[in-house]
Amino acid sequence: MSDLDRAIAQLRACRLIPESQVRELCYKARELLIEEGNVVCVDAPVTVCGDIHGQFHDLMELFRVGGDVPDTNYLFMGDFVDRGFYSLESFLLLLCLKVRYPDRITLIRGNHESRQITTVYGFYDECIRKYGSANVWRYCCEVFDYLALGALVLGASAELEPTGPVYNDTALSTNDDNELETEVLNSKGDVTMSTYRPRQRTSLDNGSVSPTRDQVPLRTGAPGTGASGSGAGSYGSRTGAVLCVHGGLSPLIDTVDKIRLIDRKQEVPHEGAMCDLLWSDPDEIDGWGLSPRGAGFLFGADIVKQFNYKNDLSLIARAHQLVMEGYKEMFDGGIVTVWSAPNYCYRCGNVAAILELGEDASNGGTVTRSNGDYGRSNGILSSAVDKPPLRSPGRRYRVFEAAAQDTRGMPAKKPVADYFL
Amino acid sequence: MSASQIPNLNTFRRGAGRGRLRGRGGHEGPGSTSRGQKDRVVQGTDNDASVSRLSAVGLGYLEDPFASALTPPGQETRRLPIINRGTYVRTTAIDQLVARFLGSTTDSDPSWKQKRKQIISLGAGSDTRVFRLLTSPSPPNIVYHEIDFAVNNAAKIKAIRGTPLLQRALGHREDIAISDVGDALHSPVYHIHPVDLRTLANRAGDTTDVPSVKDPVGQLRETLDVTLPTLILSECCLVYLSPDEAAGVVRYFTETLFPPSNPKSETLGLVLYEPIRPEDAFGRTMVANLATRGIQLQTLHEYASLEAQRKRLRQQGFDGGQAAADVDFLWERWVSEEEKERVAGLEMLDEIEEWKLLAQHYCVAWGWREGCDRFDGWRALEGQSVEG
Repeated sequence: MSDLDRAIAQLRACRLIPESQVRELCYKARELLIEEGNVVCVDAPVTVCGDIHGQFHDLMELFRVGGDVPDTNYLFMGDFVDRGFYSLESFLLLLCLKVRYPDRITLIRGNHESRQITTVYGFYDECIRKYGSANVWRYCCEVFDYLALGALVLGASAELEPTGPVYNDTALSTNDDNELETEVLNSKGDVTMSTYRPRQRTSLDNGSVSPTRDQVPLRTGAPGTGASGSGAGSYGSRTGAVLCVHGGLSPLIDTVDKIRLIDRKQEVPHEGAMCDLLWSDPDEIDGWGLSPRGAGFLFGADIVKQFNYKNDLSLIARAHQLVMEGYKEMFDGGIVTVWSAPNYCYRCGNVAAILELGEDASNGGTVTRSNGDYGRSNGILSSAVDKPPLRSPGRRYRVFEAAAQDTRGMPAKKPVADYFL
Repeated sequence: MSASQIPNLNTFRRGAGRGRLRGRGGHEGPGSTSRGQKDRVVQGTDNDASVSRLSAVGLGYLEDPFASALTPPGQETRRLPIINRGTYVRTTAIDQLVARFLGSTTDSDPSWKQKRKQIISLGAGSDTRVFRLLTSPSPPNIVYHEIDFAVNNAAKIKAIRGTPLLQRALGHREDIAISDVGDALHSPVYHIHPVDLRTLANRAGDTTDVPSVKDPVGQLRETLDVTLPTLILSECCLVYLSPDEAAGVVRYFTETLFPPSNPKSETLGLVLYEPIRPEDAFGRTMVANLATRGIQLQTLHEYASLEAQRKRLRQQGFDGGQAAADVDFLWERWVSEEEKERVAGLEMLDEIEEWKLLAQHYCVAWGWREGCDRFDGWRALEGQSVEG
């Protein structure tokens, strides 16, 4: 067993590793992360997770519900630390898994992965308390500076494979004219809700069936990647890419490529594009609005529609906001909030969710990787030609509750949540 | 979360550090009753409140030179931004109700303002309000009564004795009388009564029961002036009693001490600050979390909504008017835009959703009964008509 595997085993048991090992781990993680672009490309299938906030036992519950690393491919959208009592155990475990299985777990930065915020919201204090000095906090903050700002999920399937028997069906039962679009499962794996959409005929279908809409020659390859050519993305199963980012959009960012231009290796600034990506929230407004958080912006449905259209995205997945049901789709499914910290702060009574995006097998499982320069192939024509609407990816939400405290090796002393007394 | 609240994992491995209560004081031995233990937990909640107040003061949310003297030493802790903001809203909202009751706002009726008035604070504990009022630039003409467990009073009186700043606020030293055991204080403007509120509930309605002056309840009766406009404050106090006891305490004032039949009866007001909405996910978790600390909010389900609080006030004799608003509403509507900007600038509050959740689970409710002089001070205040 390697040192790394030993460290993983130890952290899984919620036991910390020595400071010297943390230092080494953070060094290795930085070497890995420095090679990643600001926007990491991730192939489906992948399980997208929201805020963790140091709720270690709930992170273990997440792995139980979603599958373990490396069997399941994970993408965590930041806010690993602060608020909960086990930020160190949670973040160091995720970091160990990243170093051990770099292609099976992606970590992007949240607004709490910052020196300033962690001194207010608990991670700094936790480091001092558990290690006796600020060294480990400093090592971790250096890693934070190298975390990617976003991820692009490619090759997600439009249709879900049904999981099993369906309860509380909201649509007609499955038939040839409908395909499964979303499915919600509880932590036992029972389907609690499903939605369907009309099946679209693809060019591979029986030729006698006329297409449901005019076919327009496709300019791009795999959506969202900017790749040109005709080799990929057969019409009909064409889903856009899914942009994953902690907070949301920025008035300074109109293309995914602009995210790639940011110099990210720094503390999260108080304003500007990098700050907005980590701080902004979608809201039922037109255009842009001021954020009550004091950083980032509010953005409305029109902003999301334009951004998704321009960038060949079918969905933005983000975290950052507590949602009591664990996930919340907005703006006709153009954006979803995924929240993965159940009973947040041991106080809020919410459930958590993770989002599974399946793999599109229709083109043989190959996905064109991003070449990182969107629109180079045909910048002029693309604005003149109406692109066909993209199909959103099939979305499977697994909803789970907080880990039962006394049965999973949690300390007998329950964390104390503050109230007004 | 502050460092002192983060469990040290090493202590868990050794199996230590279990079941420690956060309460302070209490001198009962190991054979004490479970009621005694419950009382100590309730007494300890005062500590919680004073630590929160000190945190909000330290960060500039509130101005309160007395907060530090009335918080047990060594307890200073920086609370989370949402807790600080909640402490701020709770304190300033009640300050405003008090100021309007006293007629000390600029739009107050001058003849009302001149009247001497009385404030009775239930379960006051380490509250600083009396000191803030007595040292304000134009001190109101008031007499202030606090009623609490003897053990909480003793801690407060000890602090007063040891702090010139607090003593000076109460006037001449020779005017202050403190009981032998140090749990009662009497001065021309300020009284601290060592009375378990439940004993008042038991005496409610019994007009023939006139306790001896040596009895703390007798002292209370003796020192209260039933001809003054009177405001009763319950900041997270009655909620710990059973519904019958809580109603009994209120009845003791509305019927036994201040019967409306008294031709000299003046305005009688009640301000409540309490948690509400125990039935949703946040509320259920709150009830469960507090239960693990041994805290039972006994009237919470009885008065679970703003409407229930208004109805309670109406039914318990405050028929002049009743209103209620949750802390989220009070922040949005009672705090001016400039003040909001100032407060928001003190700390970055990255917990908007959690703030709303938390703030919607606490309310201030206020109601009054008219006396021989008309009281308009609260009519202009905006209550919350729709449940949040």
